[in-house]
Amino acid sequence: MKRRDLLAAAVAFSTWPAWAEDSAALVRELQSRLTQPAWLHGEFEQGKQVPGFKKPLVSRGDFVVARGKGVVWRTKQPFASELRLTRDQVRASQNGVTSFQLDASREPALRTINTLMFALLNGDMASLAELFTLQAQLQPRTWQLALTPRQPALQQFLQRVELEGDAFVRRLVILETSGDRSTIAFSNLRADAAPGAGDAGLFE
Amino acid sequence: MTNTPRGLRWLAFIWLAWALLCLGHNAWLWTRSGTLLDTDVLAMLPQDERDPLAAGATRLMASAAERRVIVLVGGGDWPAARRAGDAFAASLAGQTVATLRYRVDDQAQQTWLDFYAPHRAALLSAATREQLTQQTTPQLADQALAWLYQPVAGPRVGRWADDPLNLLGQWLAERSQLSRVRVLDGRLALQDSTQAYAVLMLELQASAFDIAGPQALQPLLAKGRAAALQASPQAQVIQGGVPLFAAAAAAQAQHEMHTIGIGSLVGIVLLTLLVFRSLRPRLLVTLSMAVGLLTAITVSALVFQRLHLITLVFGASLLGVAENYGSNYFSARLGLAPEQRWQMLREQAPVMGLAMLTTVIGYALLALTPFPGLQQIAVFSAVGLLAAFVTVLLWFPLLDGGQMQPTRFARWLGGWRARWPQWGRQPVTALGVAAVVIVTAAGAWRFQANDDIRQLQNAPAALVQDQRELGRLMDLPGVAQFFIVQGQDEQQLLAREEALTNRLRALQGAGQLRGWQAVSDWVPSAARQAQDLALLHQRFDGEAGLTALLAQRLEQPVDSPLPAQAPPALTLQAWLASPVSEPLRHQSLGHLGDGPASAVLLRGAESAEARTRLAALATELPGVRWVDKVADVSSLLGRYRVRMSGVILLAYALVWAALAWRFGRAAWRALLPTALASVLTVALLALAGQPLQLFHVLPLLILLGLGVDYGIFLLERPAPEATRPFLSVTLAAACTLLSFGLLALSGTPALRAFGLTLLIGVTLAWALTPVFLPRSPSSSN
Repeated sequence: MKRRDLLAAAVAFSTWPAWAEDSAALVRELQSRLTQPAWLHGEFEQGKQVPGFKKPLVSRGDFVVARGKGVVWRTKQPFASELRLTRDQVRASQNGVTSFQLDASREPALRTINTLMFALLNGDMASLAELFTLQAQLQPRTWQLALTPRQPALQQFLQRVELEGDAFVRRLVILETSGDRSTIAFSNLRADAAPGAGDAGLFE
Repeated sequence: MTNTPRGLRWLAFIWLAWALLCLGHNAWLWTRSGTLLDTDVLAMLPQDERDPLAAGATRLMASAAERRVIVLVGGGDWPAARRAGDAFAASLAGQTVATLRYRVDDQAQQTWLDFYAPHRAALLSAATREQLTQQTTPQLADQALAWLYQPVAGPRVGRWADDPLNLLGQWLAERSQLSRVRVLDGRLALQDSTQAYAVLMLELQASAFDIAGPQALQPLLAKGRAAALQASPQAQVIQGGVPLFAAAAAAQAQHEMHTIGIGSLVGIVLLTLLVFRSLRPRLLVTLSMAVGLLTAITVSALVFQRLHLITLVFGASLLGVAENYGSNYFSARLGLAPEQRWQMLREQAPVMGLAMLTTVIGYALLALTPFPGLQQIAVFSAVGLLAAFVTVLLWFPLLDGGQMQPTRFARWLGGWRARWPQWGRQPVTALGVAAVVIVTAAGAWRFQANDDIRQLQNAPAALVQDQRELGRLMDLPGVAQFFIVQGQDEQQLLAREEALTNRLRALQGAGQLRGWQAVSDWVPSAARQAQDLALLHQRFDGEAGLTALLAQRLEQPVDSPLPAQAPPALTLQAWLASPVSEPLRHQSLGHLGDGPASAVLLRGAESAEARTRLAALATELPGVRWVDKVADVSSLLGRYRVRMSGVILLAYALVWAALAWRFGRAAWRALLPTALASVLTVALLALAGQPLQLFHVLPLLILLGLGVDYGIFLLERPAPEATRPFLSVTLAAACTLLSFGLLALSGTPALRAFGLTLLIGVTLAWALTPVFLPRSPSSSN
């Protein structure tokens, strides 16, 4: 064995404990670092690369995640659009006009998608560990997480998801099997124990 | 056998040849694969009223359903359900009774997409069609961009550029709402908010009415259930399907055959032994009935080609009257030396002949009704009875050469005749008359008829419960009420279906039904496809079109997602040829009557009001027919009941004429007891709260045949000292009660009604007949 190889092996070995796989301890560790408030407000900037489009599609807006209730994803630029996910329904609307709606009572697979969205935005490690195999890298304050779907249903459209953050999820990269790649950066995150002023009736 | 008349011997041999011929013919008929028996109840409607379309459709739908069994395994979370389902499926490996559909390869979903994707521009869901007609172009553009910008595009079909509005995705989403079964981890699955089930679909190789198949299925299902429970102890197993009901009915019939059948056989054999101290009479009577049955089947099959199952069942029971002839022969023979039997037969033949004639009159009258079922029964039972009678005349004397000493029991039984109460001026008579009047009046007051077929069903409660639960979980469409749509060609058929489903959508909105299942939801008519494509062109093309606006908003060129040339329309034939059509294929009925036809099934149309409105739809729309099997069969039963009641009344008149020809003014003495017995039976049934139906009326016709025979045999030798006629009648009545009367114990409602009527009727007719005999021998004849 050459010295260089030995060195490489030693380096790999020394970083090994930081890369843990699927362990319950990892889930517990990340869970303890994440705030996971009842209500999470924030802003996002999404850059999406879609094959066939020269320029990346950039959109901005804000979002609300309410634990156990759902997610509202409000795009403000370049145009107004809203995606609302609750446990039992997904609904897309533009300027108050519903363009698409699907009920989980008729389409149970929808729950998986909704669970996924909620878990990604809120950093719900227990749910993510059920849907994905996890690979994490932990630093004292920050962490990176690579997710590979377990279920064939998710594998069909999701290739890989990457998360990074501290007490919150700060950045999200979604790679779809279609070749779409979305990079979402979150800012102005605000954790609340109770709904804010504009949140009344959001999930009813 | 020394002084056998030569002529009789020859005739007996000819009859033997005939019986063997029938036996051979029967063997051929029954081994030929199932073409002899017709089980479709609606085939018993009069020819001119029969709707060949409805009948054909019903038959096709039934033949698809009668092989299918669905098993749901689970009830907890999906991993547990999957474990249990896998174990159930594994336990079925290697058997050949049924094919299993449970594991679905990943390719299946791709097959669906590949089939529909080329037609994406011609397939619009109802909701998108409405949006495309009503929304402004900027609104549509917002929508398209929302699909594009959404963080996860989700499982959309194809690239955004090919279908910016996700039309195919939305169309498929609307389709998939039509079924609750999904593919999960390569398995058929069903999920509601709290529970998940593995769905196992079994298809029997043989029909449900080929009883061997369903019965072979039972142990397999039991094994599967055990395996599932072992894999997941909390698992729930819910099974449903026509074969399970057929198997349950067969199991019950077999059980009853064992209990009631053995009870009746033991009773009859014991009685024969007690009276004759020999089994020969019983064997010969059975032989006469067997020859009657074989002849009846042969002749009916020759006349009608196909026999209805009901003909076989009813006809065979009507043949039971042949009991009387054998019984009469042996009662007359009792105590005579073997040589005397020829003389005895010469005396008895005309009496038995008259008894036979009066019965055949009643049966033959059935042939005058326009109902093919009754016509078949008429030919079947009249021919069978005649053959049984001929067997008694030609074979009994030849096969019955031994001694027959009168037994003490026979003498004791016959002796009862002398002690029977008689019609006359006694308080007992007045009491009897009063009782008859009161019972009849009370019965008339409580009388009601009900022909609802559902009261004849008696599946085990657990099975019904499972079926109901299965229907609820899977949201299965009903199969007893549905629409048949027909067109001159495929396109007209689809267009007519669309006209119907448009109206159904309105009823759905009004809460009258939950949904429907129609072929045109999967294959729109060419006209609709062209319309939808034109609508898309109108919205996408041009300078102010959606494509141009999207390019402007995205600040880069966007190609039109619509095909430059209209693709060939999706056709019914292509759909039928693809595995995609599997779940609905049975609803496409092929060429029926004047053109292609299909069935449109309904979900949640339970209320009577909904049914009335649905039935009304069929009268407004061309080429649409409403089929209500429950109502059709019930009304058929009702009409058979009324017709048969008429036949019975007419039969009484004709039988009375035949009796008058032999007994003159004393004829009423042979007829009245049976008439009284019939009236009292109906009254007692009404008092017992049993609504009158066909299976009460049919035995009344048999009762006429039986009871009048009692009258004839007794009236021939009416003296109180004549023990033989009374012995004959008592024996015949007892055997009838033991064979048919015991059916009153049956768990099958139709058989129970039949048995109960005969039980009461035969007992009354037997008891009343001696009462009306003349007081002194001179008063008769």
